[in-house]
Amino acid sequence: MNGFVDIFLGSIEGFARAAWVTLQITIVSLLLATVIGLVFAFMKLSRKRLLRLLADGYIGLIRGTPLIVQIMWLYFGITHFLVLSKFWAGVLALAIHSGAYIAEIFRGAIQSIDKGQMEAAQSLGMSHWLAMRRIILPQAFRRSIPPLGNQFIIGLKDSSLVAFIGVTEIFHLSMSQAAATFKQLEYYTIAGLYYLILVVLFTLILHRIEKHLDKESR
Amino acid sequence: MIRIRNLHKYFGHLHVLKGIDLDIRPQEVVVLIGASGSGKSTLLRCLNFLEMKDEGEIWLMQERIEPDRVKLNKIREQVGMVFQHFNLFPHMTVLENVIEAPVHVLRRDKREATEQALSLLEKVGLREKADVYPNKLSGGQKQRVAIARALAMNPKIMLFDEPTSALDPELVGEVLQVMKTLAREGMTMVVVTHEMGFAREVADRVVFMDDGKIAEEGTPEQFFTNPQHPKAKQFLKSVL
Repeated sequence: MNGFVDIFLGSIEGFARAAWVTLQITIVSLLLATVIGLVFAFMKLSRKRLLRLLADGYIGLIRGTPLIVQIMWLYFGITHFLVLSKFWAGVLALAIHSGAYIAEIFRGAIQSIDKGQMEAAQSLGMSHWLAMRRIILPQAFRRSIPPLGNQFIIGLKDSSLVAFIGVTEIFHLSMSQAAATFKQLEYYTIAGLYYLILVVLFTLILHRIEKHLDKESR
Repeated sequence: MIRIRNLHKYFGHLHVLKGIDLDIRPQEVVVLIGASGSGKSTLLRCLNFLEMKDEGEIWLMQERIEPDRVKLNKIREQVGMVFQHFNLFPHMTVLENVIEAPVHVLRRDKREATEQALSLLEKVGLREKADVYPNKLSGGQKQRVAIARALAMNPKIMLFDEPTSALDPELVGEVLQVMKTLAREGMTMVVVTHEMGFAREVADRVVFMDDGKIAEEGTPEQFFTNPQHPKAKQFLKSVL
């Protein structure tokens, strides 16, 4: 047990740096994923069949294949055509992956808003898009916060998979340390602890946001 | 003010409106009654194009309306609508609900719109609720806010789609009171309702619908004391 504490304390500096990388990958990829999700949610709700089909294809492909395959695919595929750092390849793969799930979250939230809201807005002379922006989306966004938070936490943990294309984040560091020292159990436990800390942090922030939004209306 | 000729509406194979002819004059209060499924709400919704007609002509203010999207928004600015389930915007305060369309559709100055909104809220007796969110209001209060919200666009016509049907009985009166005031001030109104007392007291004309057609129309006096159509007789017997 003493050994574990020593290893933990001794590796804090390295893991802190790695955790910072994990955090950067997560935040950048989730921001991108939110934008992607919003675009594809609108495509799925579009009246144009081609847009709906495209969105279905994208979501189907992403949901139907493992994230690790998508990461490899993007990293080894895209580097044929353009120079992309490991970091950005990882970020892009994670964004495209989470984007598909977030699209479904947004679509569900938008569809869950009572039809009467759009009718009321339009009966006041609002155009479809003005009504979307002012009336439907603010309500849908509130409703999507809990599942979105869930997806963000999944995204944080999924970022560990970019270790396999060599991004030196938490999991990558624990892998290399475990291999170098043969203290596999210790280093993977340490990795788990860092993820746990980050998830708890995320959860607290999400709670804050939910509470804040709850204060206004329902 | 409104002129409808040979209006037809289908929902799939269901023929809901079967050739409606109706004229509504300025300042007139017309009450649409009839059994559920007779097409009265659909007719009302066709008047501000929440439902699109399949056949026939609709004239609003001397203009024949053939819906295209931009034009529809302009038309709807002039036709206020009050819904059975209020449809207030839950993420906005009462005041924000009322100024939303004047500010974002008519591009009115926010201060000016607020002033007008407060006087409208005063009129419906809810000025002190201006900064409250809708979920803190009773049904009757919600509906009065919805009326103020529609009036804030200075509509030429107000449509009411069963405005008291979702209310507890003790809250019906306060909404009807506001509607009576509006009628007295000369607002042109088309009202779908089951409140026969209101129809009798306020309506200039009662239109009785049956099976997608206008079966009978007349002054409330004629209609309630001496209905002609057998279905109208039957309907009145069941509600009065």
